[in-house]
Parts: sequence; C-alpha cells; structure tokens
Amino acid sequence: MKFRLLSKRTACLAGAAALVLTAAAACSSSGSSSPPGSTASSTASPGQSSITSTGAAVAGGSITVLEGKGFAGDWPLGLDPATNTTGSADQDYYNAVLGDLFELGANGKQIDDLATGYSYSNNNKTVTINLRPGVEFSDGTPLTASVVAWNWTRDLESSCTCAPQWQVARVNPKVTTSAPAKGVIKVLGPETIQVNLLLPDGAFINQMYDTIPNWIISETAFTTMGEKAFAQMPVGAGPYIMVSDSYSNQIVVKKNPNYWDKPLPYLDGITFKSVSGDEAAYEAMLAGEGQVYIDMSTPALLKESAQKFNVLNQLGTSPYDLQLNSAVPPFNNPKAREAIYAMTNFAPILQHIFDNEYPVAEGFTGPGGICYEQYVPGYQGYDATLAKQLVAESGLAKTTIQFGTISSSPVAAETVQALSQEWAAFGVKTSQHIYPLNGLIQAFLANGGKSWQAMIQTAGAYDPSSGVGVGFRFNSMSPFSGTHDTKLDTMLNNAVASSNLSTRCADYNQAAKYIADNYYGPFYFSFAPANVAVKGIAGPGLTSPLPAVAVAPAVLWEDVYDNSSS
Amino acid sequence: MALAQQVQLQRDPGARSDIVRRVTGSPALQLVGRRLLTAIPVLLGVTFLTFVVMNLIPGNPARLILGINATPGQIQQTDIKLGLNHPFWDRYWLWIDGLLHGNLGIAYSNQQSVNTDLAQHLPVTCWLLLYTLVVSLGLGVLVAVLAARKPNGIADRLSLAVSMLGLSIAPYVLALVLIYVFAVKVQWFPAISNSLGSSPLQAIRALTLPAASIGFPLFAVYSRLLRADIVEQMQREDYIVTAKAKGVSPWRVLIVHATRNSMFTLITLVALNLGTLIGAVAIIEPIFSLPGIGAELIGAIQINDLPLVEGIVVVFALVTVAGNLLADLMYAVLDPRIRYGRSAS
Repeated sequence: MKFRLLSKRTACLAGAAALVLTAAAACSSSGSSSPPGSTASSTASPGQSSITSTGAAVAGGSITVLEGKGFAGDWPLGLDPATNTTGSADQDYYNAVLGDLFELGANGKQIDDLATGYSYSNNNKTVTINLRPGVEFSDGTPLTASVVAWNWTRDLESSCTCAPQWQVARVNPKVTTSAPAKGVIKVLGPETIQVNLLLPDGAFINQMYDTIPNWIISETAFTTMGEKAFAQMPVGAGPYIMVSDSYSNQIVVKKNPNYWDKPLPYLDGITFKSVSGDEAAYEAMLAGEGQVYIDMSTPALLKESAQKFNVLNQLGTSPYDLQLNSAVPPFNNPKAREAIYAMTNFAPILQHIFDNEYPVAEGFTGPGGICYEQYVPGYQGYDATLAKQLVAESGLAKTTIQFGTISSSPVAAETVQALSQEWAAFGVKTSQHIYPLNGLIQAFLANGGKSWQAMIQTAGAYDPSSGVGVGFRFNSMSPFSGTHDTKLDTMLNNAVASSNLSTRCADYNQAAKYIADNYYGPFYFSFAPANVAVKGIAGPGLTSPLPAVAVAPAVLWEDVYDNSSS
Repeated sequence: MALAQQVQLQRDPGARSDIVRRVTGSPALQLVGRRLLTAIPVLLGVTFLTFVVMNLIPGNPARLILGINATPGQIQQTDIKLGLNHPFWDRYWLWIDGLLHGNLGIAYSNQQSVNTDLAQHLPVTCWLLLYTLVVSLGLGVLVAVLAARKPNGIADRLSLAVSMLGLSIAPYVLALVLIYVFAVKVQWFPAISNSLGSSPLQAIRALTLPAASIGFPLFAVYSRLLRADIVEQMQREDYIVTAKAKGVSPWRVLIVHATRNSMFTLITLVALNLGTLIGAVAIIEPIFSLPGIGAELIGAIQINDLPLVEGIVVVFALVTVAGNLLADLMYAVLDPRIRYGRSAS
C-alpha cells in the first residue's frame, strides 16, 4: 500500500512536471532563443530597417526563401510570362530564372542586365534598345533581338492581365490581342531592337520594370517543350536554372553556370517555398527552415522579427487608397464619394494600428518613388459634421457597401476593418470581402466591372505610369479602375508622354488634385511590405533598400549571398 | 472456388442456386449493397448543392483562365471547351456523366485535369488522415483502458486533465503552439513541409505536428467516451461478473471483455467524426504548407474553381460514406449477434 502511494505521488509529480515543462517551453520569452544563423539580436524600432553588418560577399551556399500564399506564393498557371495571370506577383522567380532586360537599383538607378542601353526618338514614340552581346539562354541558344521580338509579339497578343499596355498599332485595331502591325517591333541588328508606339511615352523604360516584356524566354526551349511543359520549367538567361517546380508550392533553382555576369550569382541554389502567411513564415524562420521571407506586412510580427532578423522596411511607392466604383451606386453619386472622404479619420488608425510608422498620403506617389508629393492642395480631410450631412444627403446609410481587399496583406485587411468601424459611427454599413489575388481579379471583372463598390488597394509605383500605378487604378481603360473620366485619362496620358521629369511630375500633381477634387478615391498612407532575412544573408532588396516597383521591391537574386558561416 | 465445390455444382445444379442464395442472403453483403445504394443520393445531393452554391458566385471562369484582354471570341471558345455554354442542368449532367466515366473535368485555376490534381495532392491528405486516425485511436484506446482500470485513480485523473485540454483547444491554435514548442524551440519537427520528403521517416516528421494538431482533440473525445463506456461495462454488466467469478485475470476482463464490447461507441464516434476530421484537414494543411487536397479546397473555393471544388467534395463524400460503411461492417465483425438482414426481416 505504501509502495502504491509512493508511485501515485511519483506519477503525479512526473505528470505535473511534464505539463509545467511543456507550458514553460510554450510560454518562455521569445527573446531568449536565437534562430540558426542569427547573431546578436537587434532592437531597431518597428517600421525602420534593422540591418546589422552584412559582411563581405561570399560565393556558395543555398538558401530557402519563403513566399506568402495569396500573392507571390501562388503561380497556379505556371511561369510562362505571357500566360501567368498572377504576373508580377511572381517577380522573384522570373528575376531568378529569366533575368531582366533592365533592373531597378538603389535610389532608382537603372541597372543594365540583359540589355545595355536605350534611346528615345521620334518625340518619344520610338524606343531603341541595345541587348548585351554574347548572352546565351541556359539551353545554350543566343539571346538575340529576333528572340526578343518574338517574345514581345507574343506578349502583345496575350489576353492575360499581365499583357503590356503599350499603345501600338495592331493588325486588327479593334482587337486588343491582335498581333502588332508590321513595323511596330523592328529588329535593327542582332542586338538592336526598336519599338514604335502610337503615342509618346517618355516612361517606356520605367514601365518595363517588373512587367513581362522585361522577362525574355528562350524561343527554342518554348517551341521544343511546348507551352504547358515550358510554363512549369521556363528557360531564360537569368542567374539561376529551374530544377523543379511544384505549382504554388515549391520551386528549386540552381546556379546557372552559363550566366553572363560570372562569377555571379553568389548562391549555388535557392528553394522558394509557399507558406500560408506572415505567421507561418516567421515561425519557419525561427525554426531555421527559411532564411528569407518576402513581403512581411503584419505590424506586430515586424516588431518581433526586427529583434531576431534583418528587417528591411522599404520606402513605399504605392500608397494605400480606397477605390470607389463610380460606375455603380452608391458611388456614382459624388456626394457619397465625398462622404467617404469626410467620414474617414485615418490619423487614429495610423497611430493605433501602425504606430505612426508610415507617412500619411493624399496622392498616388510615395517617398520611395519619383514625383513624390505627400499632400494635395484642397484635399477633403476628416469632417464629422460634413460627413453626417453628406451621408444623409447621399443616402449612404441606406445601403451596405461591398468593401473588399486582398488577402495577402494583413495591413489592407486591418485597414478595411478599421474603416468599417469608423464609418459605422456614421450609420454606414459594410460587408467585408477578403480575396486572394485571383479572386480579387475576378471580383473586379465580374459583371463587366459593376459588381464591386469599394476596394482597399495600392495605387502608385516607383514611376506612377508603370505597374500598378495611377493609371492602373484611375484610368477608365483599366479593368481595375473605378474611375471613368476622360479628362483624367488625358491628364494621365500627358504625364506619360514627356521624358522630362519635372514636366511629368507637374502633370502628376495636377492629376492628384483632380482626383481629390472629384472625390474619386481617398489615399491613406504609404507602406511597402518588408523583407526579412536571417542575419548573414545579404543582398539588394534584402539588406540594402531598393525602390518598390509596384508593391514590393524586386530583389536582385544574383547579388544575394550567404556569409552566415563566416 | 474449391475443387470439391465445383464438383458438387456439376453434380447438383440445385447446389449452385443454394450458394447464390447464401451469398446474396449474406447480411454483410446486403449491408454493403444497401449502403452503396444510399450513397448514390448522398453523393448526388452533396455534388448538386456544391454545384448550385458555386454557380451562384459571380465571375466568368473563361475570363479567369484567359485574362482580361481576351476577346469575346476567345471567351466563347473557352466556354465551349469547358461546357460553360450549356444551361445549368446540362452542365450538371455533363459533370455527372464525366464522373461516371472517371473524368472529373479540368480545373479552371491551373488548366490541369482534376484527376491529375487529386492524384498529386490526395496522397498527402490520405497519409495525414491515416496517421491522425491511427495515433489518436491508438492512444485514445490505450489511455481509456488505463483510466478505466481504476476510476478516479491517478491515471484516470491525469487523462481527464489532458482530455479537457484537448477538448478545449481548437486545432489551429494547437498547431501554432506545437510549431512553437516542437519546431521553433526543440526543433524536432518541421514548421512547414512543402513535400513529404523521399523517405518514410521524413514523411513521419513532416506529418507529426499536423497529425497531432488534428488528432489531439479527437484523442481527447475518444479516450473520454471509451473510458466512460468501459467503466460502465465493468460496473454493471453480468458477463463481467461472470468472467471475474470464473477467475479470469483483471486485465483480461478489462481488455478482452469490457473494451471489446465498448468498441461500438468508439466506432460510431469515429465514423461520425470523419466530417470534422476532413474539415480540420482543410484548416491545418495550409498552416503547415502541406500540399494536400484540404489546402487545395480552400484555394479552389476562393477562386471559384468549380471542377476542382466538386472533385474534392466527391472525394470527401466518398471517404465519409466509406468510413460509415466500414463502421457498420465492424459492428458485425465485433458482434456476431448482429444480423442486419435478418433483423430487418
């Protein structure tokens, strides 16, 4: 009996100890552990870059890069640039495998990659590009002007969301996917190619960054492999070669021994893995299962990450804005749009959710891009009295606003929730919809663009004319725009035409004022997701800032290295 | 067929009809037949409801595939290729026709055959479900037996505490805790697993935390209910008293007699819980980046990929129906007194 009592106690103690130990492990301070590869913890404040010394570049090693589902972590149709509807969200894989004609470097400096230069002529309606001589694709075939011409023709014929928006003559002018007319793309020599546009475009090269004409594929490989096989294993002239590709799950690439800029790339290989989101990526990095995470945007996790990893918060180029669909009720009524401006007090949202880390924006330019102007003269700010009056006059309280955003951005989701609560105080109801990228595209396109009412999005880019720039969100020709105003279209087209930066910036300032005056969509704050890297991993876009072309900066993977062991 | 039976059949034609009568009169076979027949309307109902709901969601699949610049002609061609030009009922019938021919259609999102998609992702989910069931059931039975051996003893109380923890924690919360403890802190298991690896050991490592996240709450339910049933059997049933009186050892009474008879409750519960299990898979797989059909289902619903959603729903419905059928058969295996056919007559 005594023995039995003793065993009970022992068992009790053992059980209790086990529970306590498990609880202690689970509850212990996260600051007490260091992930593999990390050195000293950083105490940089959130919202700022916390980069420790990165050391000298060394060759060798492989890393795992984590990409969030719903945006960069999805490539359901593969990686053929001309058919990939998720387009530039997959920039990391394209840049690694296909390389770029031109890259966007630090402080907006253009870097020649597969091309060596360009010139404008004919009043900015003709652009001539020189290709780097002697470059070969990883299948051994040469990258020539005729291959680029084949690529661009295919891009222009694509029905994909990702197709270039070049204003060029078509064989059938009424069909947007019709082949470019003869003379639009001219091969002037083995390494010289020319594009002839219908309208002047002084931002043509800036518009190349992060878009499919910048990513050139091997025509021979495409023809040999066929479209479907090629989409899974694309062949380009980038620093890495595709080894395996499991759609929207995992991509493995290895160093391209044929790369034109030897001895780059530094790394022997990269594995890109899709993860469900910021939390999963952070845990995986703590567990040593990933060395880099692209596009972290959860405010709380950014603070946590900054204590353990290098966190590079880029200067935003694409401010968050509220798109209002002026084609359908209630926002076809200017008073309803103005009510939204007047109801929104973004200062407390910035303070309480984002710790005032991100600058307020009233227009479509950000501090990381060109033509940056933070404030717009005459911008309608928060005015509770006016808001109540406008809500009553427009009947906004009688409807439920369909309010959506993209799932991959916790910042956008939190903004939707915060705004909904603010508006609720004025009796305005919302129905919130959080979409993955593909679902968001569908929501914009459904019912001829008349199903959606309000969306939190980013509008802007390093150059407002490029990527997900101002035209993408406010030009009546864009399917992702809620604004249908030919006067604004003309203003935006004029801003693109000149290659003189001050002229262009003046035009953009005027357009920003016009948007504000007509209440087409309020802007809130300028934010770019951060890139997180284990200490020891370094490179442009990971430990040294690059401008975000559209939403996030394009990491120059050939320059990324791992000196964590040295 | 044995040689003696063949000879018997040749000699006596009446014997053949006797065997046929015995086979068709087999309660187990009749049960299987009835269950399979009832599975047909269940499958039809599930797929039809899914079809209706997915069709109510706005959006044009052809435009999703082709992109925004697609011409009306290209969209029309794709509509024809996908059968989207037909009315709702025709489309549903075409899908059913394809299903009957083993063709689940083409997924809108990746233009891949749904059969191929399922073949790629189903094994991961199957292994996860199997691992979860085996571990949760195995541990559940073990703990229930230990707890029931001495009600209110230390093992019983400890199992009660653990079970309460399991019952009160959601799988997705548990997943994060497990990742933190076992992937981040002690690094025994991976936090993310984009594949099962190339060896069984790697697969077990990859699946352990997801299986524990789903299986721990199940284990808690199984162990508590089985324990309660065993205790009741041990305290109230005459056959237990008889066995004890005959001098059968306490462990043998507990395991062979009481536990065996308590299995009915457990089997019923496992069958009923299959739906919950499948639902948990859809939540847990994305957390661990497991490329299974649970994660595929979530993605497919978000982008209105009807063929892929229908394909996965069919698989889940089949698993649920098969699980329930298996449960019914196991009743008969465990208790020879159960004769479904005869009891019905």
